[in-house]
Amino acid sequence: MEISGALLPAIPAQGAGVGTSGQLALTVLMGVFLVAVFLALTRAEDWRTYTPLAGGGYGESGHHVRHKPEGITRWLTTVDHKDIGMLYGLYAIVAFVWGGLAVLLMRTELFTPSMDVLGAVAGGTNAGNALYNGLLTSHGITMLFLFGTPIIAAFSNYFVPLLIGADDMAFPRINAIAFWLLPPGALLIWAGFFVPGLAPAQTSWTMYTPLSAEQAGFGADLMILGLHLTGVSATMGAINFIATIFTERGKNVNWANLDIFSWTILTQSGLILFAFPLLGSALIMLLLDRNFGTAFFAVDGGSPILWQHLFWFFGHPEVYILVLPPMGIVSYVLPRFSGRKLFGFKFVVYSTLAIGVLSFGVWAHHMFSTGIDPRIRASFMAVSLAIAIPSAVKTFNWITTMWNGKLRLTAPMLFCIGFISNFIIGGVTGVFLAAIPIDLVLHDTYYVVGHFHYIVMGAIAFAVFAGLYYWYPIFTGRMYQRSLAKWHFWSTMIGTNLTFFAMLLLGYNEMPRRYSTYAFNADWAPLQTVELLHQAATLGAFILAFGQIIWLVNFVQSWYEGPEVDGDPWGLRDTSLYGREFEWHERRLQTAVTDGGEEDEVATDGGVDETAAEEAVADEQSDE
Amino acid sequence: MAPDVFDRETLLDLSVNVIPLFIILFFVGVFAVLPQFGYSLVPTLIQMALLIVPFVGLAILTYYSGKAIATSEAELEARERAVAGASAVEGSEETGELSEDEDAQPIEGTETDGDEESTASNE
Amino acid sequence: MDEQPGVSDEYRLSSPWPLFVALGLTLSEVGIVLNLLPISVGGLLLFVGSVSGIVQDAGYIDRPWGVLGGLGAVLVVLGAILVVTQVSPSVDALLDTLGSAMAADGNANVQRGLSVAMAGLIALLGSVAGRATGRRSIEAA
Repeated sequence: MEISGALLPAIPAQGAGVGTSGQLALTVLMGVFLVAVFLALTRAEDWRTYTPLAGGGYGESGHHVRHKPEGITRWLTTVDHKDIGMLYGLYAIVAFVWGGLAVLLMRTELFTPSMDVLGAVAGGTNAGNALYNGLLTSHGITMLFLFGTPIIAAFSNYFVPLLIGADDMAFPRINAIAFWLLPPGALLIWAGFFVPGLAPAQTSWTMYTPLSAEQAGFGADLMILGLHLTGVSATMGAINFIATIFTERGKNVNWANLDIFSWTILTQSGLILFAFPLLGSALIMLLLDRNFGTAFFAVDGGSPILWQHLFWFFGHPEVYILVLPPMGIVSYVLPRFSGRKLFGFKFVVYSTLAIGVLSFGVWAHHMFSTGIDPRIRASFMAVSLAIAIPSAVKTFNWITTMWNGKLRLTAPMLFCIGFISNFIIGGVTGVFLAAIPIDLVLHDTYYVVGHFHYIVMGAIAFAVFAGLYYWYPIFTGRMYQRSLAKWHFWSTMIGTNLTFFAMLLLGYNEMPRRYSTYAFNADWAPLQTVELLHQAATLGAFILAFGQIIWLVNFVQSWYEGPEVDGDPWGLRDTSLYGREFEWHERRLQTAVTDGGEEDEVATDGGVDETAAEEAVADEQSDE
Repeated sequence: MAPDVFDRETLLDLSVNVIPLFIILFFVGVFAVLPQFGYSLVPTLIQMALLIVPFVGLAILTYYSGKAIATSEAELEARERAVAGASAVEGSEETGELSEDEDAQPIEGTETDGDEESTASNE
Repeated sequence: MDEQPGVSDEYRLSSPWPLFVALGLTLSEVGIVLNLLPISVGGLLLFVGSVSGIVQDAGYIDRPWGVLGGLGAVLVVLGAILVVTQVSPSVDALLDTLGSAMAADGNANVQRGLSVAMAGLIALLGSVAGRATGRRSIEAA
């Protein structure tokens, strides 16, 4: 008796339809690959002669420190938290570009009511719709999992050890594994677009069953696998951060003076620890449903609604996983350009923790319209309203910090202020959505899209930019071009508000989300208004894109040609707001030369000469 | 949260989490007294659990984090007092210009609450 | 930190293993889900090999062979469990299923289970060979 009987979908035999010759070719390829890996490792053995260390402890290593290997090998083999932070940053920016291009295509399509642009690209209306759905799925997943989470990891990897006085992460190798899971994950997620014979998944980022369980094609399988890998990566990173913040703090850092960014990272890691394994399990269940003939989410099995519960039990904390560290960045950067300490530091800490706990009690507010028991629904509404308080508290703290302060409107400060402005709009619209009666009207309209984009683009991305500008001198040793940065800010601010405010209004006009066309019956909807708003949103998207091009140009060019700055680019040294990370940066600048010299004497075992040492130092400052 | 565990200042800080706790409690009361959809064993039980579990979780986390921070603060203050005792003059320099618009923050480690000091140097 | 200025800069390490652990996990997942035997076997081998390597690299163990063998045994058991779930509990049925497993229209889950078990078996053999030759590490084998 086989389990994969008549009741369950037939399991494809000899997967992916690869024939015998295909199997043979794959075997040969795999063999060659394994031999290549083996040879690479043998070669690596030559320089892998430092004292092995368990779990990143330090102290014994003093006499065996080594330089990193040169060139590309350095980046492929690094376990240094700063290098890994830079890798995360680069990776996230690549993903940001991909996700941005995907949405530009979508917005171009939405400029007119009918299917024309994507239809022309893909050949036919149906193919155009499929492409639109694929872009929509890819945009969502890319921005949340391949840009949002990694860019936060970039900051936290680079700065948490510096801010808490640790030498590195608690588990440097696990840190590196966590990063290296991401590029293959991204390739799998995007595979549907560039592997011939595969179609992109059209499940949207929520992957609701039964659509996702039934959708044919390996594109969806690969996307789910890639997503699973990024989930594993995030979990490994989170465990690492929790261990680091608990056990590796310097002796001057305790719970009373832990910086706000590390607090938010700690809370975020806690959320990841409880949320991401659940996503991983749910994804595996979905894969089993798709490929192994199980029935977790089948209508006559575990029910499709089960997926929604599992997904949103992960998905809502994910929102806070993405927003808490940016809040930490704003809480960290804003005071430095307000000339004042953060108002009510501990209010911010406690409200961060409160968000962490409550975020697990609100998941079904994404499911108000699924017909769950009204009593249960009411409870989710209550907790959703309660969770608005800690976020509001923070907003008031930021505003009060700026109140009567000596504001300096540098680029990071502008982005912080933009963050607050957008966060208020995104947050207040969210409070309305948390109320069941309003949600039932606005559910699945552009209002929801406008709301969460005000948070993810208007707030999270803004805080990310604030952090990137604020710490740019640490990453590169140079200063960005200030006027370009202001251009970047204003085009981003205007673009964001134009695009997403138009979406809120579209929502009020009951424009449903996820549609590639909107040539409705004019009796149902005010078509002219809808079209005008869509055009405004598209215009805003292109203004946004324009701003991001300025940003990329600015960062790349300044990396090579920007004016070099010392350890105190923001003029904070004589105040109490001079951060540990800049103290460290200044020490690094001062010790940069002797640092290399010292180690030459001990590093007798492979290729470290004076020039190499200097190059390594130069690398630190200008490389990526 | 007895006063002997937390001083007044800490309780004030913790009040930020009392508000969401109060909102949840308020809804527990409303749903218990005015059940718009009637009582029924399982749904009502789930309904209450969905409110009470986050409530208890938040209360516990707030209590322990408050305790951890208050304890660390006491350590910091003790350390600073020791330092200030060793060199009483140095202490006054560290407050810096930025605290001038704060009310009365005379000399570090004397009168002010630990909150202000710890944030001054680290947030 | 203040007491050891610049210590972050002196504390430099690199390791070749993390990249391969990640690649191994990726390949094995893809191979098993899409039921591509060479990919799953190779990916699992890369994964267990790299895990043993990185555990040794981190200094938790002196030689990688024990971990390699242990992980190989786990894979054999997991693969066997997957195969057994697909057949009725009798030796004949099992042999019958195994006999026809690799046919193009065979049961995909049996094939997946066999590929996992096969990878585990190779890892076990590698472990035994490594012990027998007394090598210190995987890449020196």
